[in-house]
Amino acid sequence: MWKFRNELAIFTTQKMSANNIIEIKNLTKTYKQAKEASVKGISFSIKRNEIFGLLGPNGAGKTTTISILCGLFPPTGGSVFIDGKDLRKELEPIKAMIGIVPQDIALYSSLTARENLDFYGHMYGLKGKDLKDKIDLWLEKLGLSGSADRPIAGFSHGMKRRVNLIAGILHQPKILFLDEPTVGVDVQSRNAIIAYLKELNKEGMTIIYTSHHMEEAEIFCTQVSIIDHGKILTEGSPEALINSCPGATNLENVFLHLTNGKLRD
Amino acid sequence: MISKLSASVRKEFLLLVRDRVGLSILFLMPMVLIFVMTLIQDAAFKTLNEKGIPIVFVNNDRDSLGMMVEQGLRNNELCSYSDSINGRPASAESAKQAVASGKFMIGIIVPAGATAAIRKSVEGLIEETINTDSVMPAESPVAQDSVEITILVDPVTKKSFLTSISSNLREFISEIKTKIMFQAFSEQIAEKIPDKAPVPKNAFARTQIIHYKEVYASKAENRIVPNAVQHNVPAWTIFAMFFIAIPLSGSIMKEKSEGSVFRLHTMPGSYLLLTYGKLIMYVIVCLVQFLLMLSVGLYLLPLLGLPVLVLGNSFWGIVALTLATAVAAAGYGIMVGTLASTEQQAAIMGSLSILLLSALGGIWVPTYVMPEEMRAISAFSPMNWALDGYYALFLRGSGLVAILGDAGKLFAFFIATMAIASIANRIKRSV
Repeated sequence: MWKFRNELAIFTTQKMSANNIIEIKNLTKTYKQAKEASVKGISFSIKRNEIFGLLGPNGAGKTTTISILCGLFPPTGGSVFIDGKDLRKELEPIKAMIGIVPQDIALYSSLTARENLDFYGHMYGLKGKDLKDKIDLWLEKLGLSGSADRPIAGFSHGMKRRVNLIAGILHQPKILFLDEPTVGVDVQSRNAIIAYLKELNKEGMTIIYTSHHMEEAEIFCTQVSIIDHGKILTEGSPEALINSCPGATNLENVFLHLTNGKLRD
Repeated sequence: MISKLSASVRKEFLLLVRDRVGLSILFLMPMVLIFVMTLIQDAAFKTLNEKGIPIVFVNNDRDSLGMMVEQGLRNNELCSYSDSINGRPASAESAKQAVASGKFMIGIIVPAGATAAIRKSVEGLIEETINTDSVMPAESPVAQDSVEITILVDPVTKKSFLTSISSNLREFISEIKTKIMFQAFSEQIAEKIPDKAPVPKNAFARTQIIHYKEVYASKAENRIVPNAVQHNVPAWTIFAMFFIAIPLSGSIMKEKSEGSVFRLHTMPGSYLLLTYGKLIMYVIVCLVQFLLMLSVGLYLLPLLGLPVLVLGNSFWGIVALTLATAVAAAGYGIMVGTLASTEQQAAIMGSLSILLLSALGGIWVPTYVMPEEMRAISAFSPMNWALDGYYALFLRGSGLVAILGDAGKLFAFFIATMAIASIANRIKRSV
């Protein structure tokens, strides 16, 4: 009986691990010369093919968490497994399977959209006709074909955001990290970006999304974690979180309720 | 790997060619510097050579010494001779005032009776020799009349130039004095010992058995003549090559501020490739700069009447030294860009350190005129190693072996800068 229970437990763990593309346990990060930890022993997992929203006010610890997951710097403690690989030991293969769309426009302003994408595509190991076709395809999809050979410096903010997005997805990563991908763009560009992100998710890409835009997160995310002061306050689907919070009619109400609605630095 | 590296180099190339201000700093500025500095230095010597050094001569002697000095000065191409001031014959006082006011660089005053004093001195010596016993007295009892030739100098004349001119004048006047003494001696001998054969006419010339020949100790069989072009082209080329530290560090900082570095740090192994891409591109820039600067020395400066740059004998020496200088300069730029935290910091750190290294390296002022302490410090400037190497090739006509030491130091400097950049990068990233 005891043996049966033990085997069942192992089976259950393995099944959960196979479903989860990211598993984080007791993750902590204390910056050098900082008095307090920015991330205080958080644990959560992200399932494959999920659109996961990591939401929180300024200084909550979401950027620190995402930066650790992207391999920008190591954690102080805890463990992170991405697609079964230990972040501390197998960083290079992990880097190859992720894509990132930073909040800042991480592009060379004097280069054209095509030149920027060609460079980043090569850096992800793409080359030749395959790379050219992918660039053409995404420029076409996001309505940038006509501007492909113009320097980025002359682009509108919405156009820059779209090129910034393509640079992160050109190599078809398994996991895509999005940091405020629609900040400062017009409604048309935002709708286009969200629509194509959903299309990528349908094709199997797991998306990890951080934003202050609660309305967008409510529509876009399938699972949400709200983080504040370096700790996870709650997690679940947007619908479940709204239903569990008395008097809440949307995700913003839940967010304000959990984070006390106080001004942050 | 190769594909990523070539993409990184291509990206650097595109960024560079689209930055017109950066391009002008890299290529036009050093060309202008070579033109200006070479022309100024060449013109400074040419002016003196063509017009001659302005000299006012006051001949109060009116005899052989005064006349021979006057004749010598008149015939000397280096001198612009004058014996009058404002249309009036120059006097000791007016000459002093004219030199003090800068109208003349040099004034020479030969006192009255100078020739007579020389003759009298010779006469006394002979008289004494003939009339005394065979045992020589310990000291001559005859007091000699001294002749004082005054050389006036414009106070603004540089000390090194003054030393050179006055030593030439002294030598010239001394030769004339010797000639007069020789003549007087011959005349006295003929008078005192009449039964002796007369002294041959060319006797003085026959006594001039010591001659001087100045030869530049170059291995290039006298082809290389030190001049403003030979000195300035390599010096300013090195300066230009190290000047890439400013745009290179600026480009590193721009990538940080534009967020590209953030994205590149999340890519597999790409940040190192990014650095290599920059290194390769800027080494190519240095090589292009070098070729351009050589072309200026070979083709453009001669069009302005300046001497043609002579490259010495060692093609492989030039290749090795230029490559070593280029990697040292690019490594320095990468180090500055990594150490700086803002674009302003990089610009200030880059430009000031390059100026300092070039001053210490002997680009502006030759190291041999520096004080001993400064010379000791200059031995640590990579620009000094490069300059030493190019002088060995371009002025001494040396070969590859002679510059291996300097090239080795430059390569070691490159390794050191890359190591410092790598450590600084790790420290900055370990938050």
